[in-house]
Amino acid sequence: MQETFVRAEFDRMAAEWRYIMTDMICRAGSGHLGGALSLVEIVMTLYYRVMRTDPAQPRAAERDRLVLSKGHAAPVLYLALAYKGFFPMDWLKTLNADGTRLPSHADARYVPGIDMTTGSLGQGLACACGAAYAARLDGQQHRVYCIIGDGESNEGQIWESALFAGHHKLDNLIAITDYNKLQIDDFTDKLLTLEPLRDKWRAFGWEVFEMDGHDWDSIYSTLQAARAVRGKPVMVIAHTIKAKGCCVVENKPESHNIKVPDQAAYDKFMNAMTTKTALPY
Amino acid sequence: MGTDLHKKEMRFVYGETLNELIAQNPNVMCLEADLSKASGTNPTVLNKYPANFLNVGVAEANMISLGAGLASEGKVPFCASFTCFASRRVYDQITISVAYANMNVKIVGTAPGITAGPNGGTHMCFQDLAIMRAMPNMTVLSPCDAYELRACLRWMAAHRGPVYMQLIRMLQPQVFDDGCQFAIGKAVRLRAGGSITLVSTGYMTPFALQAADELAKEGVAVDLLHCPSVKPFDAEALVASARRTGGVVTVENQSILGGLGGAVCEILGEYHPVPVKRLGVPDQFGEVASEAYLFEKHGFGVKHIKQACRDITARSRK
Repeated sequence: MQETFVRAEFDRMAAEWRYIMTDMICRAGSGHLGGALSLVEIVMTLYYRVMRTDPAQPRAAERDRLVLSKGHAAPVLYLALAYKGFFPMDWLKTLNADGTRLPSHADARYVPGIDMTTGSLGQGLACACGAAYAARLDGQQHRVYCIIGDGESNEGQIWESALFAGHHKLDNLIAITDYNKLQIDDFTDKLLTLEPLRDKWRAFGWEVFEMDGHDWDSIYSTLQAARAVRGKPVMVIAHTIKAKGCCVVENKPESHNIKVPDQAAYDKFMNAMTTKTALPY
Repeated sequence: MGTDLHKKEMRFVYGETLNELIAQNPNVMCLEADLSKASGTNPTVLNKYPANFLNVGVAEANMISLGAGLASEGKVPFCASFTCFASRRVYDQITISVAYANMNVKIVGTAPGITAGPNGGTHMCFQDLAIMRAMPNMTVLSPCDAYELRACLRWMAAHRGPVYMQLIRMLQPQVFDDGCQFAIGKAVRLRAGGSITLVSTGYMTPFALQAADELAKEGVAVDLLHCPSVKPFDAEALVASARRTGGVVTVENQSILGGLGGAVCEILGEYHPVPVKRLGVPDQFGEVASEAYLFEKHGFGVKHIKQACRDITARSRK
């Protein structure tokens, strides 16, 4: 899967995703903005340049899988799936609305193209290990991608999975840590430091890469290198900025779950967007 | 000709039945968390189907979510550990990765209740039926002998959806035979009588049978409903029986809060209130002790079942 990369086009699309996502969350009255905005370039690169997916056959056996272990970042996944044609663009405005098919956390039961239901932190990486292990048993060639959070990496189950994947040398598993350095209550370094993060994953038997999670070239070349690794699972530590593109909360703890009680708050967040675009619904 | 299944420890019946299920469906998998010998799958499954056997180490949370990942790819994982670790330790993993996501994962809690024996209070889980029953999408089973265990496992492999099953590891008295058919959501009437309804499940059913037979000699005719399917529960059979007898006793190898007794009281309270006595462990933790000691301390051995049946029969006749 490789679509032609036109930088200006990707820049434009990234700005649209950020603007639409912020509108979706503001319409819903609240939501996990920061950790979705930090993933825009990574998720777009996965869906447009790296992963093999087919909106006409969302459950095709040979597709690459993506487990969004930090399930609260689901809006960025919804943008990718809507843009790729997995479901109508109209659905986007229904985030968290009564009876919606797009709940706050990623849900494989309702959303075509979502491979795993997530939302309770720490579990998605283990699910991804299971999917990767099954693929190996069945002799399938696809890869399983998994995005975990830095705050999520406080969970003990992440490290159970780290042991498992390292022991079983799951080289069809590529995990990405959205290292935006913030969790709900504070900066990760102040609350419960993950450092030295690279050394930790390496010690668990993983090949480790680091990349600038907002730089198209860095993301693409790192993921290509990750796909070439044999005999080990891969952890890509993505240095990102939480709430990137929404200046009133960018790189601030309060970006995690914004509250939008009224029109004034809506205007505050929307006016804070670095780039304004049209809404598709 | 019978298979003499009841002459085998239940855990070995578990391992052998898994092999039978794997032979029929290569997607069936055996997951363990460093207790595979205790579960009876090592060496039985490990030697015969090494590719279907996955030991994740002492990492039960990982085993459950990993099972969900395997299930998302069409595998049918049976994940076993002691009940305390297979239920309460991993309650959120089962809730979200398995039940909420509606993944086809089978969870097997071994050494339920007082059968944890010498491992004592830390390992005696008295609440797994209650907490698993409270979970949407979850089916909860507790077979009483080797034949019923095998029938339950066959049903679990054929059923698409999350299931939790208690597995008694040791030899169990024979209740059924090779003809045993498991019917989901159905109680099995082991004795028919009009004096009192006695409801049991899993480990306590052979004791309930003994109590019923001894009571029959006293002229107390017990309507004994064995309920391998704790959820869904056979409300119809329970209410029909209670209408005839006017009183109900429940007995389980669990806390009296929320499990089998809880299910019975919920149904009777709503549809046909009658006097009820729940036997099992009151609101207490377990301890290292013999079965006789624990039955005596908590009051749910054969003599207590008999006494409760007499008491409720007398009350319901007033």
